[in-house]
Amino acid sequence: MSLWKKGRIVDIRHVEGKMEVEEYIYTPGIAGLELAKALIEGKILGVKCDGKVYIPAKTFCPDFTRGELVEVEGSWTIETYTIIYEDMYGRKLEKPQIIALLKLENVEGGLIHYVNVDPKTIRVGLKVKPVFKPREERKGLLTDIIYFTVEH
Amino acid sequence: MRVAVIGVGWYGFKPSVPELSFREMMFEAAVRAYSDANIDPRRDVDAFISCQEDFWEGVAISDEFAPEPIGGVLRPTMTITGDGLQCIGQAYAMIKTGAFETIVVEAHAKPSDILSIQEIYELALDPQLRVLNFGNPLFQAGLDAVAYMRRSGARREHLALVAYKNKNRGLLNPRASHAAPVRLEDIMESGTVIYPMSRYEIAEFTDVAINIVLASESKAKGYTDKPAWIDGVGWATELGSGAIEWHSWGRMPSMKLAAQMAYKQAGIESPLKQVDFAEVEDRFSYMELLTLEELGLGGLEGVPRLLESGYYDVKGGLPVNPSSGSLSLGASLEATGLSRLLEAILQLRGEAGGVQLSDARKAIVASWRGPPTYTSAVVIVSSS
Repeated sequence: MSLWKKGRIVDIRHVEGKMEVEEYIYTPGIAGLELAKALIEGKILGVKCDGKVYIPAKTFCPDFTRGELVEVEGSWTIETYTIIYEDMYGRKLEKPQIIALLKLENVEGGLIHYVNVDPKTIRVGLKVKPVFKPREERKGLLTDIIYFTVEH
Repeated sequence: MRVAVIGVGWYGFKPSVPELSFREMMFEAAVRAYSDANIDPRRDVDAFISCQEDFWEGVAISDEFAPEPIGGVLRPTMTITGDGLQCIGQAYAMIKTGAFETIVVEAHAKPSDILSIQEIYELALDPQLRVLNFGNPLFQAGLDAVAYMRRSGARREHLALVAYKNKNRGLLNPRASHAAPVRLEDIMESGTVIYPMSRYEIAEFTDVAINIVLASESKAKGYTDKPAWIDGVGWATELGSGAIEWHSWGRMPSMKLAAQMAYKQAGIESPLKQVDFAEVEDRFSYMELLTLEELGLGGLEGVPRLLESGYYDVKGGLPVNPSSGSLSLGASLEATGLSRLLEAILQLRGEAGGVQLSDARKAIVASWRGPPTYTSAVVIVSSS
């Protein structure tokens, strides 16, 4: 234990540092690659495990079996949501960001994504659908879906 | 054979500790804990366990830095990337084997050093998900809060009431740097940060190092006349830890599983009747309510009603977070769980000062590793 600690703020020094982790490539793997190809086609993949289908698709199932990748379709609803007004540093966002867990009927899990809806009208159970970017702009990323929008 | 806590030490509990590096903070906390336990770490300790995570330290392979500040050089020292209570679980199990008699557990946090803390939280998300811009990487807490409210019937006021209780309570605890005399209206009228929560309902960060010395029953008696006893420890990681979309929204199965494991060891069948107080997860307001439900301390729909009635106040049937919780003490990365265990031990010893309860013999301590994890740990401690 140090007996004499400096308390006067101007006597305290900092050493600047940077963690060299900003450059990275992530191998998408078997499921990731199929998922990317499907997104470019405007499709969403799930993984079939022991009778249940989960999204997003992984190669492996919760019960440690290997799953079968399958295309999922159907009616999407908002299972839960939040609206982000400020970041962790207390800075206000230019526009509140609506984030939701979108659930597909009869499928476990779901997708976390933006919802394009008036914050005043958002609610759990709202029926929504994904809006994809034009095909030529898709890159096989989740951002190939622009957002989910209310179904009319 | 029982396991005792024979010494505790800490340094910090401030939004920033500019005078010391985090390793010096570990050293300060260790010296205090070993003095409290009357032990020489170079002679009397069989193993050292540190709960830490490279990204919080700002160095890679940070476990190599663990032994020296806590007296563990050339002694069995290990690190666990998890909340401090997970280290307590490991130490408890090791002492129970009979191969270890005295074990030091430490965890520390210096979030004030981390200039890019938001970016580190973002980096903890699945790379495939990270392409989206969430605005705030703690968004999961909002998703869980909305789902919890819908399921339990808790209203916005209930969440605000948690912050009101804990923020004001902290005024009596000198370690509670984030305490504030707030009115319920201040919280209700405050702007939303992560819907449905205001700034008052999201714990700020705190720098701290905490060191806790555990010993077997036979050893403990030789060192201290005021041991606290660990009656049970449980921990769990739930489905949804690798694909958060698979999480059970508005629930915390890991907390429930951790509690079941700890209760079984501690012989607890009806926790509401068998414990005197609880130090539970509250780094977001809704988490205090959800945790109480998963711990079986109120039941579904019971928790919001009991909160309203004052049942969880210090003078109620079950004081919850008499320390003032993380909303006042602050969240301390992997040291958060240990900060709550420290408060419970001080209560059991009658050394909690301004927040001392009159009847504090047995407690539940429950911690979550924080977003984006779905890992929880529960410890049962008693004074006799």
